[in-house]
Amino acid sequence: MSKELAIEVKDVSISYRILNNISIRSTLFHKKTRDEVFEAVKGVSFEIEKGGILGIIGKNGSGKSTLLRSIAGVFSPNSGSIDLHGHSVSLMALGVGFKPLLTGRANIMLSGLLLGFKEKEIQERMDEIIEFAELGDFIDRPVRTYSSGMHSKLAFAITAMLETDIMLVDEVLSVGDERFKKKSLAKMKELISDEDRTVIIVSHSIETLKELCDKVMWMHDGEIREMGEPEAVLENYAEFMRA
Amino acid sequence: MLIVLDVLMFIVPALFSITIHDYLRHGELSLRRKLIFFSIYLLLINAITLAVSYMRGVRELNFSDMTLSYRLKYLGLGGVLGFLVPFIVCLLTEDIITIGGFIRYGKRFIRDIKRYMPYAVWAAKADLGAEVASSYLNWLWWLIEPFCMMIIYTVIFGYVFKAKEQYFPVFIFTGITMWGFFSRSINGSVNTVRNGKDIITKVYMPKYILLLSKMFVNGFKMMVSFGVIAVMMLAFRVPVSWNLMWMVPILLVLFLFTFGVGCIMMHYGVYVNDLGYITGIVLQMMMYLSGVFYSISKRIPEPFGEVIEKFNPVAFLISAMRSSILYCETPGIMVIAVWGLISLVLIALGVFTIYSNENAYVKVI
Repeated sequence: MSKELAIEVKDVSISYRILNNISIRSTLFHKKTRDEVFEAVKGVSFEIEKGGILGIIGKNGSGKSTLLRSIAGVFSPNSGSIDLHGHSVSLMALGVGFKPLLTGRANIMLSGLLLGFKEKEIQERMDEIIEFAELGDFIDRPVRTYSSGMHSKLAFAITAMLETDIMLVDEVLSVGDERFKKKSLAKMKELISDEDRTVIIVSHSIETLKELCDKVMWMHDGEIREMGEPEAVLENYAEFMRA
Repeated sequence: MLIVLDVLMFIVPALFSITIHDYLRHGELSLRRKLIFFSIYLLLINAITLAVSYMRGVRELNFSDMTLSYRLKYLGLGGVLGFLVPFIVCLLTEDIITIGGFIRYGKRFIRDIKRYMPYAVWAAKADLGAEVASSYLNWLWWLIEPFCMMIIYTVIFGYVFKAKEQYFPVFIFTGITMWGFFSRSINGSVNTVRNGKDIITKVYMPKYILLLSKMFVNGFKMMVSFGVIAVMMLAFRVPVSWNLMWMVPILLVLFLFTFGVGCIMMHYGVYVNDLGYITGIVLQMMMYLSGVFYSISKRIPEPFGEVIEKFNPVAFLISAMRSSILYCETPGIMVIAVWGLISLVLIALGVFTIYSNENAYVKVI
C-alpha cells in the first residue's frame, strides 16, 4: 500500500442498552428488569486512505449515524478499535450542539473551542463564517429564534470553515434553500479537493454520493452489505430500494 | 435510646455504603453479592473509624461511660467514610482500575482541564451575558435577589424569632451567599448531562466540563454577593483583621467540595431519573442543618452543635467564614485542611467514575 491510512476501523461493534434508566422505586423494591441490548453496528471493519472520500448509504436505522458518531469520538465502540492516526476530526450533523439562549456569534466561538481551536484562530475566521452562513442580523440574536434552515446553515458554515483533517458529514448537504444547497455543495467540493483531507459522507441521496465520492459503502442492519466503486454499489442499492 | 444509637453507629454507615454501591451498579447487584459487600463495608468502615479514634486517644470501647458526643462523632466519621468507600471499591472491583489506571486517569484529567478550560470559561461568560441580555433589570438582579432574601430573613429571624447575633444582616447574608452557591450547583448538577444533550451527542468533551462551566457562573454570582458583603461590612463598621485572609482558602475548599459532590451527583443523575426530588429534599434538610440563619454552635445544645458543625462541611465553612470576616477570629485551620483533602478525594472519585462511564451517557439520554 503506497498511501498512508487516515482511518482504520477494525471489527467494530456498538450496542445500545434499552431500558437502562432506573428509578428509586425499582431499586428499593428490586424489580429486576432485564436490559435489552440492541446491536446497532455489528463487526464492521474498513479503512480509508488519506485524502479518500467515502460515502455511506443505507436505509434508516442501519447504523450509519451511530458508526459516524463513534468515529467522531462521541462514544467509544463496545468492541473493536478505531484508529484515526492522530488526525483531528469534526462531525457535521443536523442541529449541531448549540446553546439556544446564546447568540449565533457566541455559539460559533463555543463550537470552535470544542473542536480544539484557539480563541484567536476562531476570531480570525469569524467574519468568514458569518458571511458564509448568510444570517444577516440574526447572528447577534439567540439561536432559539432561528428557523430550522438557519440552524443548519450556521452549523454547516462552522464546520466548513473550521477545517479539520477528517470531516464526517451526516446528512447535511440537503439543507437550506436551493441557492444555499448549491453553495454548500460547491464548498464541499472545494474542501474535498484538498489532497490531505479525508471525508466520510452519510447521505440518502444517490446523486450526491455519485458526484462526490470515490468509494461507497452500503450498510444494512449494522453490517457492510457491499463496498466498492460508487457506480456499482449505488446501482445495486437503488435496485434494492425499488424492490 | 442509647442502645439503639450504639447499634446504629456501627451499622448505618455500612448500610449507606451498600445503597450507594447498588446505585453505582445500576441496581444489578444480586442479594448474595449485596450481603458480601455489606460485610466488607461493615468491617472496613468500622476498622478505619476505630483506628482514628484509637489515634485520638480512645483506647477501648466502653459502652457504660461513653459520651454522647463520642457516639455522634463516630457516626459522623462513619457517614463520611460510608460515602467515600463505595466509590473506591467500585472503581477497583467492577471497573477494574489498577494503580496504573489511576495514574493514567490523573494525567488525562490534567490534560483535559488544560484543553477544555477555555471552553468552560467562555461558556460561563456567554451564559452570564445571555442572562443579562434577556432580563429587564439585567445584572442588577444578581444584587437584588440575595439582598431581598437577606432582608426577608433578617426580619423573620431577627425580629420574629429574636436571633441575637452581632451584625445580624451581614451574618445572614454570608450564609445565604455561600449556601446559594452550593445548593444551586448541586441542584443543577443532577440534570447537567441531560441538559447538555445537544452538545455532547455531537462532539466529545469530558462531561464534568459542563458542570465546571455552570459552577463558574454560580461562582461569579457569589463573588458579586461578596462585593455587597464588603460594602455592608463598611456600613456596619465591622472591625477587620488579618484573619480576613482566611476567606480565600475557605472559598477554595467550598469550590472543590462542591465540584467533587457535583461530579458524583451528575453521574447518578444520568441513570436515576427521579434523583432531582431526593437532592431537593436533602438540600432543604441540609440548609437547616447548615446554620444559614443561625449560629449552630450557639443554638444547638452540646454536643450536637459541635458535631454537626464538624461533620457538615457546608456548615463548617459558613461558620468559619463568619468567624474570619466578622469576628476577627482564626477559623479551625486543621479542619479546613482535612475537608480540603476530602474534597480532593471526592473530585478524584467523581472524575474517575465519570471517565469510566461517560461513554455510556450518550446512549442512555
